[in-house]
Amino acid sequence: MVVDSGRTTKIEVKDLTKRFGNLVVLDKINFHVAEGEFLAIVGPTGCGKTTFLNCLSKLIPTSGGDIFIDGDVANPRKHNISFVFQEPTCMPWRTVRQNVAYGMEVKKFPREKLNQKLESILKLVGLTDTADLYPNQVSASMMQRIAVARAFAVNPDLLLMDEPYGQLDVKLRFYLEDELIKLWKTLKSTVIFVTHNIEEAVYVAERILVLSNKPTGIKAEVQVDLPHPRSMIDPEFVTIRKQVTELIRWW
Amino acid sequence: MAYEEVKVQTPLYLKILPVLSICAFFGSWEFIVKTGIVPSTMLAAPSEVIKLFIVKLTDPNPDGAVLSQHAWISLKEAGIGYLLSLLVGLPLGLTMGWFTTVRGLFRPVFELIRPIPPIAWIPLCIFWFGIGLWGKVFIIWIAGIVPCVINAWVGVGMTNPTLIQMARTYGASDWQIFTKICVPSALPMVFGALQIALAYCWTNLVGAELLAADQGLGFLISMGRRLALPQMVVLGMVTVGIGGAVIGVLIDAVEKRLLAGIRR
Repeated sequence: MVVDSGRTTKIEVKDLTKRFGNLVVLDKINFHVAEGEFLAIVGPTGCGKTTFLNCLSKLIPTSGGDIFIDGDVANPRKHNISFVFQEPTCMPWRTVRQNVAYGMEVKKFPREKLNQKLESILKLVGLTDTADLYPNQVSASMMQRIAVARAFAVNPDLLLMDEPYGQLDVKLRFYLEDELIKLWKTLKSTVIFVTHNIEEAVYVAERILVLSNKPTGIKAEVQVDLPHPRSMIDPEFVTIRKQVTELIRWW
Repeated sequence: MAYEEVKVQTPLYLKILPVLSICAFFGSWEFIVKTGIVPSTMLAAPSEVIKLFIVKLTDPNPDGAVLSQHAWISLKEAGIGYLLSLLVGLPLGLTMGWFTTVRGLFRPVFELIRPIPPIAWIPLCIFWFGIGLWGKVFIIWIAGIVPCVINAWVGVGMTNPTLIQMARTYGASDWQIFTKICVPSALPMVFGALQIALAYCWTNLVGAELLAADQGLGFLISMGRRLALPQMVVLGMVTVGIGGAVIGVLIDAVEKRLLAGIRR
């Protein structure tokens, strides 16, 4: 399937609904993501962002509708879905290198390909020097880089990121956001990036979906047609940021 | 290299203090017995114990075996019982922590057996195995298995749920999550179990030997009582103590190597 911009549709979400008893958390959400697209999703706290991501990653079953990858119902055993969680998810008993390799091990990458990919991704995120240290010997930002590297390493069909840099300070955030853009451009993965930080969303994404309050639906869609690297004081950047902010004024 | 390991030196007084405390302990013990504050029929002075220790290295009288023989018997019983309890208890506890079917099957029986003190099994053991090696091994096994099961089970239960979710999103199977995430993250608790089980095994060994044995350190202690030789009682106790401490140190060393990333 080809969408209007000329790119192939990779992910399609159809009527995604999630209810807990009588509480409707997600109400018939429909959208699609093009192959290699970087999509950001912003929404107010408590609007069900985490539930949304858990449904997308198939961690919890949906109450209705589904998510399709390349036309098939998404299945973690079949598709490469990666998830970068808000909190660092490093296994303390594995070195940095082994942590990054974990996803590829589960996916049963052949040894040689695994090692090759491992070295290149470690180099790409600047973890080569620390590859043999344990997670408790590296900083918090490095732990999150481990998770990001692990996620990109499996060539994901879909990479979900749940406010991955929410716990880091502003300077590191900028640095890691640039690194994320670099990874995405190099590896051409399809990314859904969830955040409540509007500036961050405008800084990284090609397109932004704005969610409404519960029952959550898509309130608006904003295209960000700015070249990378972006400048936060660029008037166009500021305009888009203001536009998104207006959409979610009732936060 | 940019990431050098930092070496921390133990201050001198922290090295001296343990030595001081041991010296003070044995010094005051010797003092209260030698000065007659505690009569020597009730407690043997450390020097008497050392004297007997040297004698018992070569002389099998009056209890029928030299010290090394007693120690070897006890070590064998405890070792076999301990290993068997690890062999059964750890896999059982780990799987009980992750697989609901295993938990459903074994938990009721385990909860029933758990509160029975191991030495309560002694009479049945004598019926089943006589007073030989295997009766005591059975008691030690029962004693050691409880902390193994509980710690392994709790250890698996303490696995960071986000790690499990992370593994699931990569499509890991239940078995893969169990072996690659739950078991390693339960390891600190499992090593705790090794220490606790060892203590349980070693204490219950002496209990078992006090009642039914013809050799072993517990037997040495009960012979000391029957022959009214307090130094023999203390020698048996001290040997048990030293034996337990040495094994504890060994386990600690293994743990430090294996759990490098978790406790550094």
